[in-house]
Amino acid sequence: MEADTEPVLRAVGVHKRFGGVHALRGAHIAVRAGEVHGLTGENGSGKSTLLKLLNGQLAPDSGSLEAFGRVTVFKGAREALRSGVATVSQETTLVPDLSVAENILLGHRMPRRAGVIDWGATIARAGEAMGMLGLELDPTIPVRKLRPDQAQMVEIARALSMRARVLILDEPTSSLTDDAVSLLFASVRRLCDRGVATVFVSHRLDEIFSICDRVTVLRDGRTVGEAPITELDRDSLVSLMVGAALEQASHEPARHGVGDRTVLRIRRLSLAGAFTGVDLTVRAGEIVGLAGLVGAGRTELLESLFGLHRPTGAVEVEGEPRWYRSPQAAMHDGLALVPADRKLQGLVLGMSVGENLLMASHSRMFRLRVPRRHPELVAITAAMQALRIRAASRSVSVDTLSGGNQQKVLLGKWLETRPRLLMLDEPTRGVDVGAKAEIYRIMREARAQGIGILVSSSETPELLAVCDTIVVMFRGRVVASLPREQADEALVTRLGGGHG
Amino acid sequence: MNRMLGWLATSRYAAVLLLLVGIVTYFAVSEGSRFLSQANIENLLGSVSILWIVAIGMTFVVLTGGIDLSVGAVVALAGLVLAKLFNGVGVPAPLAVLLTVGFGATLGAAVNGVLIGRARLSFFVVTLGTASLYQGIVSIWSNTQTEYIDSSLIGGIGFGSALGLSTPIWIMLGVFLVAFVVLRWTYFGRDIYAVGGNIEAARLSGINTTATIVAAYGVVGACAALAGVVQAGRLGASSPDVGAEIPLAAAAAVLLGGTSFLGGIGGVTGTAVGVLFIGTLQNGLAIKGVSSFWQQVVTGVILIVAVGIDRIQQSPRGIVLRRRVRGEEMSDSG
Repeated sequence: MEADTEPVLRAVGVHKRFGGVHALRGAHIAVRAGEVHGLTGENGSGKSTLLKLLNGQLAPDSGSLEAFGRVTVFKGAREALRSGVATVSQETTLVPDLSVAENILLGHRMPRRAGVIDWGATIARAGEAMGMLGLELDPTIPVRKLRPDQAQMVEIARALSMRARVLILDEPTSSLTDDAVSLLFASVRRLCDRGVATVFVSHRLDEIFSICDRVTVLRDGRTVGEAPITELDRDSLVSLMVGAALEQASHEPARHGVGDRTVLRIRRLSLAGAFTGVDLTVRAGEIVGLAGLVGAGRTELLESLFGLHRPTGAVEVEGEPRWYRSPQAAMHDGLALVPADRKLQGLVLGMSVGENLLMASHSRMFRLRVPRRHPELVAITAAMQALRIRAASRSVSVDTLSGGNQQKVLLGKWLETRPRLLMLDEPTRGVDVGAKAEIYRIMREARAQGIGILVSSSETPELLAVCDTIVVMFRGRVVASLPREQADEALVTRLGGGHG
Repeated sequence: MNRMLGWLATSRYAAVLLLLVGIVTYFAVSEGSRFLSQANIENLLGSVSILWIVAIGMTFVVLTGGIDLSVGAVVALAGLVLAKLFNGVGVPAPLAVLLTVGFGATLGAAVNGVLIGRARLSFFVVTLGTASLYQGIVSIWSNTQTEYIDSSLIGGIGFGSALGLSTPIWIMLGVFLVAFVVLRWTYFGRDIYAVGGNIEAARLSGINTTATIVAAYGVVGACAALAGVVQAGRLGASSPDVGAEIPLAAAAAVLLGGTSFLGGIGGVTGTAVGVLFIGTLQNGLAIKGVSSFWQQVVTGVILIVAVGIDRIQQSPRGIVLRRRVRGEEMSDSG
């Protein structure tokens, strides 16, 4: 886009402190009409804080904000919204029991006729916003019945319906399928043509390169780079983010020591409405990846193995037929499941790092026992060091940690149980490049200790980077089982999309 | 001094502690020795002993994200069970007391606990229902008559004393200490916080969340039954009319004490302060000759104000309902 037009939204030299934490220390960003402006940086670099200054949720301690040519400080998110800055945040803000149409028009005055809500007009207006996204949903069904990716699209439709001049998308693609992502990108492009500016926050480099016109990179609360995307490549962007050239995650997994011992073997495992006739084997010291779209049945498969559902078929653990009716039973046999949603299923956010780390491994202790302080301290300290968990101390609550460090706590909690089979569901969702690399390292170390690993991910490059075998699922069935050497991104994506 | 201020700014029950200090000072200045006399202080502590014991037990279920509205009826029912065991069956007094407390624990665990923890029914509906159910049983079984209990041991629980303190005060201290230790220093205590903080994460961590919830309702049942025994001791009788105001007062004390009604945050120290606050307020107003109806009004206003102060204190900009936003900021800047 032409760089000489005046920015519609600009922050200059902004600072923001939270208690002792200096979250922003001189960040700047300038967003122009009709451009897609990428905002990126590792977790903890200050992205979310900067967004909240731009959309009025926070006021800067110092520095200036300009919106549409005037110096302003929004007094809250509503005022920002009224001036034309709409945000789609990472966390869902939909009302589960209201219909799709009501959710899209939430915050507007619904169309009325004779004093009562005109449902025909409401549905028509919601349909307009959905049409912009190519979203085909029944506008009258409640949002709670939608899949996560559909709900995310509804959220975006709501922001579009605000007729915003600046649209802030905070990690909008984290729960979207590839098809939904391309629909989203197409509609963002259409908005650009109408002069709407989009701020696009993402960890995913390929998305930044495919949609953004300009990029602003934050590190440690400062803007360390701002450039048209054409002047950057992957390596230069990553080195701006991490401050040094990061060694690319090695794509060739070290295949040493995959034993002959079979940790897990499942035959014709089925669960109504989720997956059918799944065969799978995981050996000691092997990382097996589960690839496929969101909704292919990967999550339900892992949950079934962990005793959360009642599938039919045969499960053998270390050669013994097994049948788990609860997580406790699965854990007793050395199974561990790192769930996909660390906030809802993984961690007790209000409890300390130490308590979370030991929660699973100590769940079999006699409950009226007094935990022994010294061995606990030793175990917590060792785990925090081994996993390089950055936290003020072991006794701060987990919700004060960055996403990547929370994820490491979650991983550590399950490694503490000394599992034979470690199952991971989307192990790097919402974490930055640096933390991803560390999580891969942790997985490889676990493999080297002879743990069998079954990892489900919608990010194919991730599976290619760590797995020895990749099992591709499509609509609940295994469509391919590929040794790493035979797999590449194009093939896995094609198979996962149902194209043999 | 700074540490002190820091503690006040972050502690969950600092607000109510300040209020407690405030009203104690106020009544001490305005009423002098009528309020500060040893007799009145013992009277005050004795009068809150029932509420204290129930509220400590209530803290366990509130920490799991629930509440028990049936505690008042259990207090009355326990008194009746004690009277029937002692008078009717002729069980010796010490055994009758133990059986009554065990009965309360079993009742809480087996009915409220199982329905809420295992059948996953709403705690509100279940305990509202059992409150009515137990109260009905009390009325039918007692024929709405008071039944006298002529036992020196049970009377002693109400009015005896040891080492210069009355028995109810010793029981209060004992219940508090046991609860404090259990919540802070046992795995069961950790489970309570984990279940209230994130039940799904706790379940996936292999914690038996059903057992935790069942046990929590067992604890409050035992506490309510023990309170019923103390009540019977203080009256020298079992009365079907006791305990009506207990459930709401106990919930108020727990919430005043900073335990989140969403679960996972809080503890019995705050509850103790909350109980003392309610007791002091009622005692002081009674000395001033304010009617008990006005005491209720004042208690209600203060409950809302204290919970409001707590919410403002937890939020740096003093804006309600921004907890989620704050959590994110901190994680992104950490």
